[in-house]
Amino acid sequence: MDTILSAKNLCFLEKITYPAIDIERGRATFICGESGCGKSTLLKIFNGTASPSQGEVTYNSISLASLNTVMLRREVLLIAQTVFLFDGTIEENFHQYYAFREQPLLSAIEMKRYLSLCCADFDLSMDCTTMSGGERQRVFIAICLSFLPKVVLLDEPTSALDEKTANQFFIGICHFCKQNNITLIVVSHDKSLIDRYADNKITLAAPKETII
Amino acid sequence: MRGIVEMQLWQFALIYLLLLIVLTIMKKCHINQSKLLIIASVRMTVQLILAGLILTYIFENPHPLFVLLYLTIMIAFAVHRVLSQNKGINYRFKLAIGISLAASGLCVVAFFICIVIGESIFNPQYIVPISGMIMGNAMTGASLGVKTFRESFNGQTSKITALLNIGVTPQKILLPFVNQAIETALLPTLNSMLGMGIVALPGMMTGQILSGTLPTTAILYQIAIMIAVCAVVCLSVFGSLYLGYKTLYNTQNQIDFAALNKN
Repeated sequence: MDTILSAKNLCFLEKITYPAIDIERGRATFICGESGCGKSTLLKIFNGTASPSQGEVTYNSISLASLNTVMLRREVLLIAQTVFLFDGTIEENFHQYYAFREQPLLSAIEMKRYLSLCCADFDLSMDCTTMSGGERQRVFIAICLSFLPKVVLLDEPTSALDEKTANQFFIGICHFCKQNNITLIVVSHDKSLIDRYADNKITLAAPKETII
Repeated sequence: MRGIVEMQLWQFALIYLLLLIVLTIMKKCHINQSKLLIIASVRMTVQLILAGLILTYIFENPHPLFVLLYLTIMIAFAVHRVLSQNKGINYRFKLAIGISLAASGLCVVAFFICIVIGESIFNPQYIVPISGMIMGNAMTGASLGVKTFRESFNGQTSKITALLNIGVTPQKILLPFVNQAIETALLPTLNSMLGMGIVALPGMMTGQILSGTLPTTAILYQIAIMIAVCAVVCLSVFGSLYLGYKTLYNTQNQIDFAALNKN
């Protein structure tokens, strides 16, 4: 198996211990488990916004500890549960995020393509402040995907979506990632989504009871 | 122009009659603050008598040690005030605020007295009032700047997280917050410069004119002190936040979101 991310003997804050994890390149891996078992934390460890208290993570066989974490996050991009959009239109949000990344801006056609990929077929001049939570989430994911990372970490991306839109969303994302050889790691509770779209599945065990 | 009229004590005591008017109005309007009014008046009187006695003693026995002691106590008090108004920030950030406030205050005071006025830094007649005004304003400015920064940092966690997750450096994320806070801290000083001389004659200038200084001299001091205040506010907030924001992330570019919200 071609492994892109691998974790060994991982432990976070002495509370959460992880099994050995290997993520296959270019495939969709779904992570599930009870709440509190450290799914979101695992994603944070993968993109270097949190550090494990024990154990090691390697990305392309290089230890995360020896990598420039900012460059790592550009390749291993985490889309957290709480999204953020600037006040303004969708186009202005593309502008702002691209300015922060210091990258040349996409054309309007490209922006539209990424939006429709994420089931967010809105006008570029639409005001983000009046959108619903689910709409904002999809616009944010579209902006993140347009950066073309090597690994996308999605934390509960369809929590605010109905079943039909959630399926449409995953069909689009999975197809796009396969095409561009992007590794997808998704945290999800939804069993039907996991059955349909997961190439691999990792179930994390419930946390150890804290001994008082 | 002549020197100020020395007030006779019995005449001075007449001013307290005005408080009776305030008391009467408070009673009539059922404002239950008459106790506070009395306590505040008594405290003010006692504190100022003490300050008057201490300053008289220092002026009559000018000694560098007194000046140093005065400066130390004043700076310690200013730093303490800023920190107590901004509870919950981490130790290294506090250190940055303390150093910036002390260093910028001392530098501006020294420049003002030694170079602009051309007096000895140990002359209490100059150092006491001037350092008081400068440190007082530095304290208010730094406090406002740090508060603004702290509130925007604590309130915009989702923005900071989102930018961090897409691979933006902590510096690039946090510097706009720093710049915004410096601007907010400077605005009151800039606004008071705009109204100066039209809306009100400032306290120092009024005091100098009352004691017989020519208004033309008094305005030179007033202009100088306003520019010094502007500079000290800018320097102390800039120093506090530029040194301070670096304590919010580590070498792994991880931002400590609890850094300004500790208990």
